[in-house]
Amino acid sequence: MSGCDFDVVLYFYNEMDTVDRVRATAHLRDCAECRQRLDDLDAIRRALASRPAIEAPPTGDWSGFMRRLDQAVGAKVPAPPVSVGQTATQRWSVTHAVAFAAMLALVTIGVLMAARFRAATPPVRVAVAQPNPIAAPAPTAAAPDQSLREVSAEHLERSKLVVLGLATRDPHSSADDWQYERRLAGTLLSDTRLYRMAAQDRGVSDVARVMRDLETVFLEASLSDSGDKDALERVQRLIAKRDLVVKMQVMAGSAGL
Amino acid sequence: MTVDGGLRATADSDLVARAAAGDGAAFHALVERHRAMVYRLAYQFAGNHHDAEDIAQDVFIKVYRSLDRFRYDAQLTSWLYRIVMNACIDHKRRQAPAGWAPFTEDAELKMANTPEEGPGPEEQAYGGQIGEVLESEIARLPPGQRLVFTMRHHEGLKLSEIASALDLAEGTVKRQLHAAVHRLRAALASARVTTGGRA
Repeated sequence: MSGCDFDVVLYFYNEMDTVDRVRATAHLRDCAECRQRLDDLDAIRRALASRPAIEAPPTGDWSGFMRRLDQAVGAKVPAPPVSVGQTATQRWSVTHAVAFAAMLALVTIGVLMAARFRAATPPVRVAVAQPNPIAAPAPTAAAPDQSLREVSAEHLERSKLVVLGLATRDPHSSADDWQYERRLAGTLLSDTRLYRMAAQDRGVSDVARVMRDLETVFLEASLSDSGDKDALERVQRLIAKRDLVVKMQVMAGSAGL
Repeated sequence: MTVDGGLRATADSDLVARAAAGDGAAFHALVERHRAMVYRLAYQFAGNHHDAEDIAQDVFIKVYRSLDRFRYDAQLTSWLYRIVMNACIDHKRRQAPAGWAPFTEDAELKMANTPEEGPGPEEQAYGGQIGEVLESEIARLPPGQRLVFTMRHHEGLKLSEIASALDLAEGTVKRQLHAAVHRLRAALASARVTTGGRA
């Protein structure tokens, strides 16, 4: 209080009752130090008010956000409490159709990329995982953690192809050269988020941590501007800093893949 | 899914009732109506899009799961504020080492003296960008202080409302606010020295 029993912060935020406020106003007339503190708070308010409010994802596009939310509530909530009717049925149908289409696409892409990286990165064993339902990890009641680990590890196997693609590119490549990986990163992002959230919900922290790292890399890659020459280098630094390739291999190894 | 024109004019409480009965379009309308506010709060707390989106997702998932527990005599925004605040704390807790506690007395003391990692205000103060310096300092505040300051300063919630939402003593919330303001004043003074001017 700097020698005064007057709380400038409460006065500034109008948190005083009427009696204290009147007393404080009188005190302010005589106390230069408290007036200075009040001026500082006002300066803070003005300076912060001049900053733009961020109210939407980058580029203002909510479609990805809404899609991920749909997937999350669809995957996490088995059935709404009252009669669900046609809407929920349709949502599940669409989710499954999308999941199936994504699965097919990933397997195809995986086969193509596995062939490509086998030559480029001999020390790293690249395996193409069997398809799995990607929208909703569904562990068994007997061993939920183990099931989650297995489906997560398969997702990591699929994702590793993309991560390796990003990690092994010439960092000075043009944006067109790695457009393919960028697009795949965007495709895999929402599934990675779902696996991460499922792992967090179940308290499987090591899986959650790897998924978070992977999610960060995919987000950075997929959101990068095609005109940003440093974007790939930034993504590669992120992969290296988080030691992501090794983590993914360890996770896949521990799940027996 | 897009929201039809009829739902745009529907009251929040009606949308909640319909969403709780399984109406997906009503849930979408709710999300579309409030997502900017939720995202803004999440971004103010997190300071980056990645975590802000994460928090906003958590908020609406919790809303979806709790639709049947919404009290219809309450304001939806008050309910949302509470969910956002708790989602911010949960998010930070998940990122923090084991044993992290946002509001205990020990944690308060530690938080008051331990800045989050990041560049100091001096490094950020170039060009007289006082607002930028302060924003950066807010991002470096310990999570409890950051949350209380954001809800009080940006959103205008009363200390009693914040305390109630977070299930804390009002005195604790008051101390968090004081500590936050103290650091922001220090950052302001530092920025003024560096830029040689007044905000």
